[in-house]
Amino acid sequence: MATDPTISLKIRTSLGDYLKRDPATILPSQHLRDDLGLDSMAVIELLYRIEEAFDIQIPDQDLMGLTTVGHVVSYVEKRLGKTGAAAPAKKPTKPAKPTSKKKP
Amino acid sequence: MRARVVVTGLGIVSPIGIGVSEFWKAALAGQSGISAITSFEPFPMDGYRSKIAGQVRGFAVERFLDSAHGERVDRYAQFALVAAKEALADSGIQMAKEDPHRIGVIVGAGMGGMVMGEREVTQLYQQQKPHRVHPNFIPVITLNSASGIVAMATGAKGPNLTISTACSSSAHALGQALQCIREGRADVVIVVGADASITPLVFAGFCSLRALSSKFNDQPERASRPFEQSRDGFVMGEGAGTLILESAAHAKKRKARIYAEVAGYAATSEAYHMVIPREDGLEVAHTMKLALADAGMTPAQVDYINAHATSTAIGDAVEAKAIRQLFKSRADKIAINATKSLIGHTLGAAGAIGGIASVLALHTGQIHPTANYDDPDPACALAGLSRSPQERRIKVALLNAFGFGSNNAAVVLKQVGT
Repeated sequence: MATDPTISLKIRTSLGDYLKRDPATILPSQHLRDDLGLDSMAVIELLYRIEEAFDIQIPDQDLMGLTTVGHVVSYVEKRLGKTGAAAPAKKPTKPAKPTSKKKP
Repeated sequence: MRARVVVTGLGIVSPIGIGVSEFWKAALAGQSGISAITSFEPFPMDGYRSKIAGQVRGFAVERFLDSAHGERVDRYAQFALVAAKEALADSGIQMAKEDPHRIGVIVGAGMGGMVMGEREVTQLYQQQKPHRVHPNFIPVITLNSASGIVAMATGAKGPNLTISTACSSSAHALGQALQCIREGRADVVIVVGADASITPLVFAGFCSLRALSSKFNDQPERASRPFEQSRDGFVMGEGAGTLILESAAHAKKRKARIYAEVAGYAATSEAYHMVIPREDGLEVAHTMKLALADAGMTPAQVDYINAHATSTAIGDAVEAKAIRQLFKSRADKIAINATKSLIGHTLGAAGAIGGIASVLALHTGQIHPTANYDDPDPACALAGLSRSPQERRIKVALLNAFGFGSNNAAVVLKQVGT
């Protein structure tokens, strides 16, 4: 896949910083929640860092497609126009399932 | 025997009406108080993911109060004053005839005086003139400014407390007032829930938490949709609710009109996560069960629930799951509604306003609609929810409230004599 390695590296470094672990051990196939142990709030904090790192804004509606490291990388690539390849960051899944994870 | 506690007065400031009769009429009609935010001007809304809120329109404190008390406090405390004044008048209590030390004030507030707070912080950092920070800044942002000013305005010299447990603050205020009167420490407690923090910073914070609805910015009245399939977060609201709690003996002595009895209360922590509830719903079910036990009742007696129901994906699903766990097959026979579907989430005021909706449901037999309950989410469908008003003779009501900080409250209200 025609990806930009710097984007992937930046995202994995960001994750490594957050999780206090070596970015080299973080793989695109890893699930943010099931493999890396991020809860929904931690995912939001991670995306907050990524928004700043790449100077983008991620709308709430795009969140639910971002479940693996690879999804996040593809999504950022797509947003930055770095790849036209199949980068299914997310599809606007059916009539919009609830997304927010808070209870206030 | 511990004292029985009743509700004898109500007052409200809400996005669908200032004053109980206006609020209740609008609530029964399913009217929405949610609209585009205009109060930030000239600050632009462009950068906000959510652009809507349940705002109290046309509120000018001088229109409602004849004293200067309202001028020195923040918007949330002004709401508290107006709601407290209405409730006290509604109760018929004449302060001149009461022992003021036997009348307490307990306020639930989540955010406090953020309007002035934000303004002063911004000014200080922009202008770097510490001597220009307003002399009233500290008294205004101190979280008990509302309970203080309500006492000063009414002369209530009994226990004066503020409970701050985020979104469950005023449900706990109700519960603490119940215990205070039960224990004989006061005859009357003015219970207030108040918050007014739809401000550029606080609102941005809730946006960053990804807690707010952002899908319905163009159709604000459709955004708050508890238990519904396409819900995508809560809608921030503002307001205040006041309930006058009184020992039954004191109310009887002065021949007061009694709306309902406050019969039970429970407070728990999930000890789990700052903003995420436990997905299994066990702690919520446990909280409701404890409140019923405190009232000497069983789940089989409950026939109405004013749900916490903020319209977030997980929050509503957990609450519905907990209701099913506790009430089992009866869960679908219980009338349920979500006051936040009409006015959004008024944070610290939510418990008191939900309490008012519960008291009025007991008193009138009318249950206001849950707006936007169009396509029930299978994960939290409950037969007792309806987007139409319901008429049911209910005897026992349960009020739920859950807050950030892993915090749960439940209050049981019932018809007197049940």
